[in-house]
Parts: sequence; C-alpha cells; structure tokens
Amino acid sequence: MIVLLTLAHVMVVLTLPILLIGVVNRTKSWWAGRRGPRLLQSASDLWRLLGKRPVYSTVAGPLFRAGAYAVLASGLLAAMIAPVLGRFAPLQFEHDFIVFAYTLGLARIVLMMSAMDVGSSFEGMGAAREAAFSSYAEPALFLLIGAASIATGNTSFAGLIGQLHDSPHFVWLVVPAVVTLVVLLQTEASRVPVDDPLTHLELTMVHEVMVLDHSGPELAAMQYAAALKLTLYAGLIAALLNPLDPFTSPIACTALSLALMAAVAVAVGCIESLMARLPLRWVPRYLLAATAAALLCLAAVGWGAPW
Amino acid sequence: MTQFIGGALILLLGAGLCLLPVSNATRAGLGLGSQAIATVLIWTAALPVLFGAPEITGELAWAYPVGVFRMRLDALGAFFLAWSLPMTLLGSLYAVGYMRPFFKGPRHLGVHYALLNMTAVSFVLVYTGEHALIFLLGWEIAALAAWLLVIWDYTNQKVRFAGFNYLVSTHVGLIFLVAAVMILYTHSGSWYLGDFGSWLQQNPGTARNVVFLLLVTSFGLKSAFFPFHSWLPRAHAAAPAHVSALMSGVIHKAGLYALVRFVFLIGTPDEWMGWFLIGFSVCSALVGGLYTVGQRDLKRLLGYSSTENVGIAGIGFGVGCLGLTWGIPSLVALGFAGGLLHVLNHAFFKCQLFYAAGAVYRATHTIDMEKLGGLARLMPWTALCFVVGGVAISALPPLNGFASEFVIYSGLFSNAPAGVWAKIALCATAAALAFVGAVSALSITRAFGVTFQGAPRDPTVPPVSEVSRWMLVPMGVHAVGTILLGMVPVLGFKLVAGPTGLLMGALPGAPVSAQLQPITDTLTRIGMVSGALVLFVTALVWLRSRAWPQAPSHNATWGCGYSAPNTRMQYTGAGFSSEFTGYFRNVMVLLQRKKAVTGYFPTDSYVVTDCVDAVERRLFSVIDHAGETATSLSGKLHDDDPRIAFAAGLVALVVIAALVLLTGGALP
Repeated sequence: MIVLLTLAHVMVVLTLPILLIGVVNRTKSWWAGRRGPRLLQSASDLWRLLGKRPVYSTVAGPLFRAGAYAVLASGLLAAMIAPVLGRFAPLQFEHDFIVFAYTLGLARIVLMMSAMDVGSSFEGMGAAREAAFSSYAEPALFLLIGAASIATGNTSFAGLIGQLHDSPHFVWLVVPAVVTLVVLLQTEASRVPVDDPLTHLELTMVHEVMVLDHSGPELAAMQYAAALKLTLYAGLIAALLNPLDPFTSPIACTALSLALMAAVAVAVGCIESLMARLPLRWVPRYLLAATAAALLCLAAVGWGAPW
Repeated sequence: MTQFIGGALILLLGAGLCLLPVSNATRAGLGLGSQAIATVLIWTAALPVLFGAPEITGELAWAYPVGVFRMRLDALGAFFLAWSLPMTLLGSLYAVGYMRPFFKGPRHLGVHYALLNMTAVSFVLVYTGEHALIFLLGWEIAALAAWLLVIWDYTNQKVRFAGFNYLVSTHVGLIFLVAAVMILYTHSGSWYLGDFGSWLQQNPGTARNVVFLLLVTSFGLKSAFFPFHSWLPRAHAAAPAHVSALMSGVIHKAGLYALVRFVFLIGTPDEWMGWFLIGFSVCSALVGGLYTVGQRDLKRLLGYSSTENVGIAGIGFGVGCLGLTWGIPSLVALGFAGGLLHVLNHAFFKCQLFYAAGAVYRATHTIDMEKLGGLARLMPWTALCFVVGGVAISALPPLNGFASEFVIYSGLFSNAPAGVWAKIALCATAAALAFVGAVSALSITRAFGVTFQGAPRDPTVPPVSEVSRWMLVPMGVHAVGTILLGMVPVLGFKLVAGPTGLLMGALPGAPVSAQLQPITDTLTRIGMVSGALVLFVTALVWLRSRAWPQAPSHNATWGCGYSAPNTRMQYTGAGFSSEFTGYFRNVMVLLQRKKAVTGYFPTDSYVVTDCVDAVERRLFSVIDHAGETATSLSGKLHDDDPRIAFAAGLVALVVIAALVLLTGGALP
C-alpha cells in the first residue's frame, strides 16, 4: 500500500508542475477570449530548452552552474515531504515540516546567489525582493503549521494537515488557512499579485529577473523548480480540503486531490486574469495579511480549546 | 584535578615565556606549543566527564583572599571546555598568518600570544571554578585579555574608543555579577556555587528573582544580548579577525554557560523566568538579525549576527526552563540540547566567517563590502569557507546551523502536555525564529553576493591572491566541523547529551537516555535527509555534465541592451538592503550622506548609507539630555540660598528616620 501511494505521490508531484502551469495558462486565455496553448505546452518548452546549448555570462562561476540543479534538487526533496495526497507523504517524521520549509529556503538562497553571481545591475533587485518577501512570508507558514499542530496534536506534516479534518476547530480554521496558503502560493511560486511571470520589464520582475542569465538546461531546471513550488502549495491546499483517507480509499483520494489541485490552478488563473499585480511597496502589506490570517487560525485554536 | 592545575600552569608558563627577548616567531611557537600541550592535557580529563564519567572535584589550599580553591567539573563545564580550548588554539594558529606583517617588525608579538594564553586560562577557571571568587577571577581575566587583544592597533583612535567602550560595558556587567554574588553570599553564607544552588532551590521569592534579573543582565552584557549589545559591533570591527572570532565564538559563550549553570543551580525556575528568557532572546534574535541587513562592514555584520545567534540559543534555554517548571522532561531535553548545540555550532561557523572576513582584509586591506566584489575568483578557498559558513548561519540544510535550530523548533512545536495558550506563545516564538532565519539568509546573500560574487567594484583595491595556509587551515578545520556536524548531527548531539542529562536529572520520570532517544532518532533522520540532498545535487550536476558534454558559449551579462556597462553598475549592498530596511525605519537608524546631481553637466555625486546602532545613539542622546537637564537645574539653584541648605538637611533627616523605622530597630 505504502509503495503504491509513494508511487502515486511521486507521479503526481513530477507530472503536475507541467499540467498545472497548462491549466493556469488555459484559464487566463479563456478569460482573455483566446483558445490558449495546449495543456502540455510547458513540457514542450522545457524539452526545447533542454536541447539548447547554454550561454553563460563571462562573470559566472561554479556556483552559477551548479545553482540551478541545487534549486531543483531541494524542490524535489521538499516535494517528498509535502503531503499532497492528504495524510501521506513518502518522507514522514516528527517535525518534518521544518525540513520542508528550510529545504525550500536552501533553494531560495541558492537561487539568489546564482542571481548575484553574474554581477548584473538588475538581478540583485530580484534577489533583494525575493529575500524580503520570503522573510515576510515565512512566519505565516510557521504560524499556520503551529495552529494545525496544536489543533491535531500531531507533529508530522502529513499528520497535521491530513488530520485537521477530524479536529473540532476545522470549520473555524479552514477559511483563514486556505487564504494563508493561497497568499503563500502566490509568493513562493511568483504569481500575480505578488509577481508577474509574464512581465517584460526588468525593473518590476522578481523571479524572472533572477534567471535572466540562465539559458538552456539550467533555465529548464529553474522553470521546472518554480512550477514544482506551485504544485506543492496547491497540493497543500488540496490536502487541507481533501476529507478522504488515502489508506482506505486510495484511488478516490488521489482523484479528489488532483481535482482540487486543478481547481486551485483555475483559481490562480482567475485571480491573475481579474486583478493586476500589486505595486511593489504594497506586497509586504499583502503578505502581512497572510500572517494575520495565520494568526487568526492560531487564535481560533486557542479560543476553541478547553482551558 | 591535576590535569587542570597542570594545564593552567603550562598556559601561564607559556604566557611568561612569550615575553622573553627572543624572535617574534619563537614567541608565537612557545605560545602555540604551550596551548597545544595544555589542551591535550585538559582534554584527557574533560572528555571522559563529558561522555559520562563521574564529575571531577578537587581542592587546592590557597592563601588570601580565596582560602580554598575548590573546583568541580561536571558535564556542562566539560562541554564548554572541550571545544573552547582547541578553538582558541586554532585562533592562535590563524594569528600566525594574520599577523605575518608584524613578525619582522618592531612590535612585540609575544604580548599578543601571552594574552591568547591568558584567555585559555580564563576558560579553565570559569568552567571549572566552584568557588565564586575563582569564577569571578576567570571572568575578569577573560574581559581584560579580550580588551587588550582588541586594542592591538591602539594607535588608531577609533580602535581605542571601541576598546574602552568594550571595557566599560564588560565592567558594568561585572558590577551586576558581583551584586548577585554578594546577595547569594549573604543568604547562603558560603562562596561555593553548590551552596548557592541549595539556597536558591529552597528559597523562591523576591531575593531569588532579583538575583535572576541581575545575573541575566550581567550575562546579557557578556554575551551581547539586545539591548546590551552596543559595544559589540564596534569591538568586532576594531579587533584583529582572530580576536573577533574568538570573542564572538568562544569567549562570550561564557555568558551562556553561566546562564545555563545558574538555571541548573535553581533547579526548578519560576514560570516567568522561562518566559522572560524567551522574550529577551527573541528581542535579541530579531534586532540582531535586522541589524545584520544594513551593515556595510563585514565584521560589524558578523558581530550583529552574534547577537542574533545568542538570542536563538537563549530561546532554546528558555524552552528548557519552561520544561523544568512544568516538569516535562522532553521539553527540557529539546530546549537545552538545542540551545547548547546551537552554541557549539555557532562557535564553528562564526569563527569560520570571521576568519574568512579577516582573510579578505589581509588580501585587500578593506572590509567595506561596497568596495569589494568578485573575490570568489581570486580567493576560491576563502569564498568557499564563507559560503559554507553563510549557509550554516542561515540555518539551512545540510549544514550544522539547521541541525540545532531544528532541535529548538522541535521544542517550540512539541506536543508536550502544556496549556494551549502557552503552546500558542511558543508557536509565535517559532514564527519569529522563522523570520530571523529568512532575514539572516537575506543578509548573508547580500554579504556573499556583494563581496565575493560578480566582478571587482573598486579599481583602487589592489589585485589580490589567496591568503597563506596559516589562515586557510584553521578556516578549513572549522568548515569541516560545520559540514560534519550538519551531515551527522548525531555527533553534535552526543556532545550535548551529557550536559542535557545533567539538567534533566532534577526531574522525576523515565531515565535520561530513554528521553534523549527520540531526539537522536530524529537527528539521524535529519542527517540522512541532508545526505540525500547532497547526493541528489551531486547526481543532478553529474547527469547534466554527462548529458550535455558540449562546451557552453560565453557572453556578457545581460544588461537590458545597454552597451557600455561597467562594474560600478553592479547591484550594491545598500541597494540590496534598501527595500527591506525601508520597512524597519523605526528600529534601524540609517544615515545617508549624499551629494546630489546638479546642473546640466553634473560632476561627481555620491550616496553613502550607514546603518548605525540605535541603542548606542539613544544611550548618547539620553546622556546628552541628562547633562543638559542637570546643567539647567543647577543653574536655577543658588549656593548661598539658606532655604536650600535647610531643605536638604530636612530631607536627609527624614530618609534616616525612615531607614531606621523600616529596618525595624537599630542599624547594625
């Protein structure tokens, strides 16, 4: 059973980055009145990049070359800890969520250092923003996880997200928790309104400006890693909402998780179509709203508990 | 017992020999040799105690003023002693490379080495002293030796100012410590720490609370907790790199040792003490972390990060205190093990970072990151050591900072049977810690990116090459330790298991080893995950080199189509931090000096941003303000006015009468 679930988990986290990006783009095209690219378009894009011969900056050092793969590897390791199917994750131990958050942190610092490595006048801007935004976002994740941990008495990521359903506080927690996770998704995966992956002006980019000098296979690794982060956060939202137990009804649970993740992607696409990105100086306030929502979760757990 | 006295005597002898009229190289050799012998000698006694042998006690008759020199080495002292001495030795080794320009010069290097030996002596006294006066003596030797080491470059007025600033701060700390010892002595009637402990355990109340506050202030000044840190950035920037490293990584850990020792003496602290420690430490971690972001001087940056890291360790100790109060052994284990592990890990990566910063200074004669850039190409080993230390200090896997913060987080998120609101408070602490971690990632990316990456910024900085092996080897040893303790965190946990068990000993319940087993298991998994991560990255990089063997082409960095970029246009440190610091203007003081662009054909213009310490500014503004107030008050009084003399006499009489009445009878 565990082997099968692990297999399903790995399949989901490896294939969905491509599919979810397709769903988001399709949704945006639909709002714009176009038919839009194929769902698997980003697979073709990645394949094309893999076939290209990379061009490095003359200033770039070994950190730049290995950086993209360190980012990808960290993302994949975090994917093994994130319980996208509900109560299950291939890597599961006490307080594994700290490893999840800090592995993504490693990916972030390597990404920022890769950006600084080419001595550009622009890429540091993206790195500085990424660093600042992530430091506002990180507390929200920890507050949310803490609330779930106190509510369920569980200390592993899969346990505390998957079993939140059985907690009496679930009704109070679910709305602020989903709000927090959506904002975190937009920050970590560089989506509107925090960042716009389609922008063409270097001065307003966050993630894209950091990979300006990446090309060929390195760019493919970076783009896949970014899509993977989107998948992980969409998966967390799905796991939070998914009431099924993967051990008793694995197929239904996986199907529901996939449907929920697709729904999150549609929601992300709708948000991107219906609102413009925020001015950069408002982003910290937007992230503080996520922290506030996470604090609300924590307060709900506190007041709901017997004294 | 013999080993300790022998070790201390060898160190003293070495210090004396360093002053002989021989060549500077011989003096350095004598200092290093005596330190090495003393370290090995003391290790033979301390390591068994650390790994479970019974504690060592001993007495040595000593004349006035102490009487009997009683010493006791338990696992806690042995833990601190076990790494303090070798790290001091490595620092002295580094000094050979760092001080190289002075070896042939007229300066007497023997004094420097003698002082390094005296630092080592102070560790032996502080970590083994059972007699309070011996402890104080060690404390004072460390302070004076550190002060004299800081002002090596005393002809520079800034260095003298930094030195005196440190000297004053450390002695204000000593006043608090002496006050606490006096209270403890009057109540327990003994000079021994053990007797202090038995009095503290039996008499909770005001006196104990006052002692706690006095001691926390004193230890806070020693370890540079916020708001007692204002001496630290100056001293670290002024001192030679190895002295900064030893102060930050090793010497000031004595404050944390004393804190843990005091908690151990109390046995069961009051609940407010635990929360107070957590609050105090969170403030330190936050403020220290924020201030690292604005610094342009690499060593000042690292100094502030010490304030941050003692705060992180302090959070662990606070959690442990709460565990002692609530009687939850698992919380005690997680809190103290995490805190102590962080102390050890911090010593490893902080010394390494200071050594790397010192190497940068030796090579380029500047430490101002805005003038540097592209050093990774010219000094690859130094850059590697800096980035390893940087990732570790940001508490990221797979390095050691992550292992200790993981244990502290485990304490904060533990599912121990505590109240819901207590858990919520601990959870908020964890969120603050997460913020601090992200901020230190920001400042390390900034420091590494601006100093070591990109291309050189300032053509006036001379061309550099890698520094000598004398400096690279200590740096490398620390880097290996950082990696080893990160990949195999169980090793570090083995070292702290002894002192943690000692602190848990007071609680009833399952045997200590059973309580520590879950932590060992989790840390083993962390080690495996870290190993998997490293393997994974290596495999991907290898795969890439096999799958795309053709050589890449090279071209200029993308400059948005601008055809004449130069290296001055790279992103600067001030630019990197400006967005972030903009949101913390209330906490951080940013001074800007600028000459704006004017006219149609502007000549030179500049903007210089400096982040100065808010506490220090506030301190001076308060002094200023008080001075003005006193002047204006005294201006209003006239000495020849008889009414004032009369009023003063009356007030004195009332105070005396009140004292006599309140103390309940005749004065002693």
